[in-house]
Amino acid sequence: MELVVRKSDLLKELSLLQGIVERKNTIPILANVLLEAGPDAVSLLATDLDVGLRSRCEATVTKPGTVTLPAKKLFEIVSALPDTDVRLTEDKGGKSVTIAADRFESRMQTLPPSEFPTPPDDAGADAASLAGGTLKRMIAYTRFAITSEDTRYFLNGAQLVLDASSMSMVATDGHRLAFVRMEAESGVSGKMEVLLPRKTLNEIARLLDGEDAVQFSQGENHVFFRAGGRLLISRKIDANFPAYERVIPKTNDKRIEFDRDRLAAAVRRVRLLSNERSKAVKFVIGKDQVEITSSTPDLGEAHEVLPVDYGGETLQICFNADYVDNFLAVVDTENVSLEFKDEMSQAVVKPVGAEGYDYTYVIMPMRI
Amino acid sequence: MVPRRILHVDMDAFYASVEQRDRPELRGRPVAVGGSPASRGVVAAASYEARAFGVRSAIPMSRAVRLCPHLVIVRPDFQKYRDVSQRVFALYREVTPLVEPLSLDEAYLDVTENAWGERLGVAVARRLKREIRERTGLTASAGVAPNKFLAKIASAWRKPDGRTVIAPERVPSFLETLPVDALWGVGPVTAKRLRERGIDRLVDVRRMEAAALRAAVGGLADWLRELADGRDDRPVEPNRASKSSSSECTYASDLTDLDRIREEVDVMARENAAWLVSRGLVARTVTIKVRYADFSTITRSHSHGPTNDADAIARRAVVLLEKTDAGRRAVRLLGAGVHGLLDASAWQNGRLPFE
Repeated sequence: MELVVRKSDLLKELSLLQGIVERKNTIPILANVLLEAGPDAVSLLATDLDVGLRSRCEATVTKPGTVTLPAKKLFEIVSALPDTDVRLTEDKGGKSVTIAADRFESRMQTLPPSEFPTPPDDAGADAASLAGGTLKRMIAYTRFAITSEDTRYFLNGAQLVLDASSMSMVATDGHRLAFVRMEAESGVSGKMEVLLPRKTLNEIARLLDGEDAVQFSQGENHVFFRAGGRLLISRKIDANFPAYERVIPKTNDKRIEFDRDRLAAAVRRVRLLSNERSKAVKFVIGKDQVEITSSTPDLGEAHEVLPVDYGGETLQICFNADYVDNFLAVVDTENVSLEFKDEMSQAVVKPVGAEGYDYTYVIMPMRI
Repeated sequence: MVPRRILHVDMDAFYASVEQRDRPELRGRPVAVGGSPASRGVVAAASYEARAFGVRSAIPMSRAVRLCPHLVIVRPDFQKYRDVSQRVFALYREVTPLVEPLSLDEAYLDVTENAWGERLGVAVARRLKREIRERTGLTASAGVAPNKFLAKIASAWRKPDGRTVIAPERVPSFLETLPVDALWGVGPVTAKRLRERGIDRLVDVRRMEAAALRAAVGGLADWLRELADGRDDRPVEPNRASKSSSSECTYASDLTDLDRIREEVDVMARENAAWLVSRGLVARTVTIKVRYADFSTITRSHSHGPTNDADAIARRAVVLLEKTDAGRRAVRLLGAGVHGLLDASAWQNGRLPFE
């Protein structure tokens, strides 16, 4: 293999591939990236066996061929190169590759390409067309609710649901649930549901740029996202997502609207004196005001009053400050609403005046 | 890999030494901290003067008095011991964040990296002992070794006020001399079983067939084999989670009144609830223990939604008495405990009702 490629082109692809390669690997070849030099381009592939990414960049190929190189080191070297052409040459004997640019030259060991696992291809799978910007936003609205500790497999991802006129995504960690539904013509007939791992969501979000369309398709065990000349291949989580419709409350009869920024700032300040472990902040709801309070026995207490428009029953609801923060950090409407029934039942937070989408965030109150 | 530098620090006759420090009239005299011999009390700690008579912790006080007629018995003041303990642990944590408490008076420290910048574990041990004496007026014994198991053995080597170092290169020769019962986890019964099979020293374990070793000591086999080669990779765990808590009490005279028995269990269950609250934990399982007058002992337990509510835990413990013969049969000892512990904060975040 021998080729010349623009540093900036190669660097862009290598940086996207970094997210795929796991830091800790029991299989040495998975720390590498596969480079295949064709007639006028080099294609690149990285995989951790669950998620893989194929991409390509234009190159002047003088000798086609295939090598594998350590993904992280290659990225570091290419990042450090001057902004010029980079020459990759497979050395005689095929045990190493020389990477050169300007006056710099380096040589790196390769591993045999025959050992590199080949992910399945999307050829022949039915494709749906999704709006990239919409998908990216749906990921941002839900991924924080994916559990980081729960061992239940199905909760380690978000459920994507497509039908003829909408797409929705939902994630939960068992304590709170984020659901977002957007109008979208995806071109699917019937209903399509798939459970996507957290890593897949993160990597798709990195790939998406602007409103360009994403081609989505699925095979038996895998899903494929094709965007901007790159193909992300992901294993599906083989489990049933819990029946989330059931935990979205229908009978919350009390409602308060907040200015989003003021609520976010108040929670951020008051939580400083909440218990470090429980992170509890209490919403003391009274006539035309909500007082947000916190206390820690050995440390002290804090409170802040927010004037609101409310004439219902007075009560106190306790929330994990992180859960409230996560939501307020991603919504972009001026106001948000809190709907609730009592101290014990699921509360719902929503952006007020959201256009073209429905975003519902369900939080289970804390026990106090 | 660079060998680790692990310290095991053990305060000498801790409770008894604190009492002797605070009450000069006790110095130089045999002192036992614990309950009264008339009420079936046991020895919680014995001074070195008392140990010379064979008095040691966990033996009945009545026997201690027979062994040492001049024994001075002191009621324990746990609040005081806790205060002293906190000062000592604060010192440890000045040296390294890797401090694993084993009890009020015992801890492992990983000083491979330490705030004092000492390169040698023995230098850390020397300074620690000096600081402990300056700050509390008490002495401690320290063991320095490349792992926890050897450090613990080393600290017991020369007591009181001792300091024993097992440098990595000396580990093999040290192991050669070690009898099997020097190990934590090898009690007299296990030691006897091993001796019957010709295993006197820990290193003899290496010669034994895996199956035979397993037959002799069960689940301990793999662990022993590792130790026989001087291997113990267990890290020093600063936040090692407690797995359970329990209280128990042996009564001066056997209990037969069921109301009294219920009351005793209720009080102990509440102690456990208070312990849970203080550590930010909740428990799934409540257990009681009943020892009848004939020394036969039973336990009963009940698992349910996690809680640290004193009323709920006490209620569950008392209900468990119905599954025993307490009251119909005389009771010598009662105990109550909690296990199946969870972090209260994780539990407090209520669960969405998916089912």
